[in-house]
Amino acid sequence: MISASNLKLTFGKGTPLENPALRDMSLTVNQGEFVTVIGSNGAGKSTFLNALAGEVLVDSGQILVDGQDVTRLPTHKRARNVARVFQDPLAGTCESLTIDENLALAIKRGQRRGLTAAVKARYMDQFRSSLATLKLGLEDRLGDKMGLLSGGQRQAVSLLMASLTPSSILLLDEHTAALDPKTAAFVLELTQKIIEEQKLTALMVTHSMKQALEVGSRTVMLHQGQVVFDIAGEDRQGLEVKDLLGLFEQQRGLEIDDDNLLLG
Amino acid sequence: MLSEIAFYGAIETGLIYGLVAFGIFISFRVLDFPDLTVDGSFPLGAAVAAVLIISGVNPWLATGAAVLAGMAAGSVTALLNVKLNILNLLASILTMIALYSVNLRIMGRPNVALLTEDTVLTPWYDLGLAYHQVPVVLFVIVTLVALALLWRFMKSETGLAMHATGANARMARAQGIATGGMIVLGVALSNGLVGLAGALFAQSQGAADVTMGVGVIVIGLASLIGGEAVLTPSTVFRALLACVVGAIIYRLAIALALNANFMGLQAQDLNLITAVLVTLAIVLPGVRNSVRARLTRNKA
Repeated sequence: MISASNLKLTFGKGTPLENPALRDMSLTVNQGEFVTVIGSNGAGKSTFLNALAGEVLVDSGQILVDGQDVTRLPTHKRARNVARVFQDPLAGTCESLTIDENLALAIKRGQRRGLTAAVKARYMDQFRSSLATLKLGLEDRLGDKMGLLSGGQRQAVSLLMASLTPSSILLLDEHTAALDPKTAAFVLELTQKIIEEQKLTALMVTHSMKQALEVGSRTVMLHQGQVVFDIAGEDRQGLEVKDLLGLFEQQRGLEIDDDNLLLG
Repeated sequence: MLSEIAFYGAIETGLIYGLVAFGIFISFRVLDFPDLTVDGSFPLGAAVAAVLIISGVNPWLATGAAVLAGMAAGSVTALLNVKLNILNLLASILTMIALYSVNLRIMGRPNVALLTEDTVLTPWYDLGLAYHQVPVVLFVIVTLVALALLWRFMKSETGLAMHATGANARMARAQGIATGGMIVLGVALSNGLVGLAGALFAQSQGAADVTMGVGVIVIGLASLIGGEAVLTPSTVFRALLACVVGAIIYRLAIALALNANFMGLQAQDLNLITAVLVTLAIVLPGVRNSVRARLTRNKA
């Protein structure tokens, strides 16, 4: 479980570029929930994810992961409980290392690293069988450099790496946005499969309202650094993009002017 | 051509600069941390070892102390960068400048002679080898041990974490790697190797001198880049081997240039030759690739 309460964060405080990114944001994600997060540019989606991961520290508020206060902890100390896939397919892996070396890095996420060989023979079966589920033939290419893989393949491996060891929450930051439509669909399908099979708790930021409603068990919309609505269960069933827009206007008295959200 | 003594001398210094190149490989290639501390940590290693040896300390212990001193110097650079957010290159220049004073303090004078002292080389002269071959034999052993340990380390969990820190720091943090700690460890290790090289250099040349560090970074980089041009560093082992091969080729090329009377070069031309060799090492792989591309295009 992950719980964020009253998060406030302002970038460039006291400068002409002062930009309040999170204004009193609160959200609790329960065990086993798959939450999709939408919002227009500048709504605070990425900042919220970065705050949960520890890449940025909030000015005030509290973040609990499984009841433990992690508000002041840096990224690497939260990594044991927080797994992540980035938007940039190149960001989640090391291209100068081989596939098995990347997986070996991920299998030790948040744990002590010693002086024994990183790529151990006993990992191999697990690596091969996990890679085989991708159906990309990567299980026979364990020794290949990551840089030889396409963006979609690398994003699939990133996803695998994030789910190689248990975590309290999986953060997905528009992880299909930089891929072509076909590859994006493949990675999204893979995401759903992994989350379902391993019963993961996940938070997925997306730019597409359609995707936000089709995937997951709960949808949260952010606007100007706050949660403007939060729907799950029966209320969410059968909801369409136009209903979501209606909800948003009703809540805010605003019109959405971000074409990406409407067209995505 | 090259006399036998000049040849062995080139191999001997080449092996020492191979250790420097190992250090530069860790900072420049693994951590992507351009570290110029080496110009200070090389004479630091030499100074520490020399001063301890003339005060009667066992030469191997003195050499060990030189390694620790180098590691301390590297840690200072890394901490200036990680904790105080000083740009890595600038942090290393600050440490390098500071070390000049530190080295003078350690020695108490600009140079310390070791010609009459027992060094790590002394017992090896009794083995019946020719005088000029002794350092080469010992340094080959030291280099092989260092190479084996480094190779093993780079393949370890910590070594891989260090590699990830240099290659993709954001990913490394997300995997729970304390990237700041990895930078400190790596730069310390790098300068520890350079300190070792300095200590061995002082013992084989018979003196430690405060100015002996000038340009060590360029020689180390020349060795690294030259080695990479000869041996494509597709694996960590090949990359480490390239450091040694590059350093030896570099020293042989220098010796050849200086000994070839027909070229009319003299000892003071050393830095000019170095600059030319480094430029060639950087440019040649590109030329080779474009020539190859042109040849295959013509065939097709």
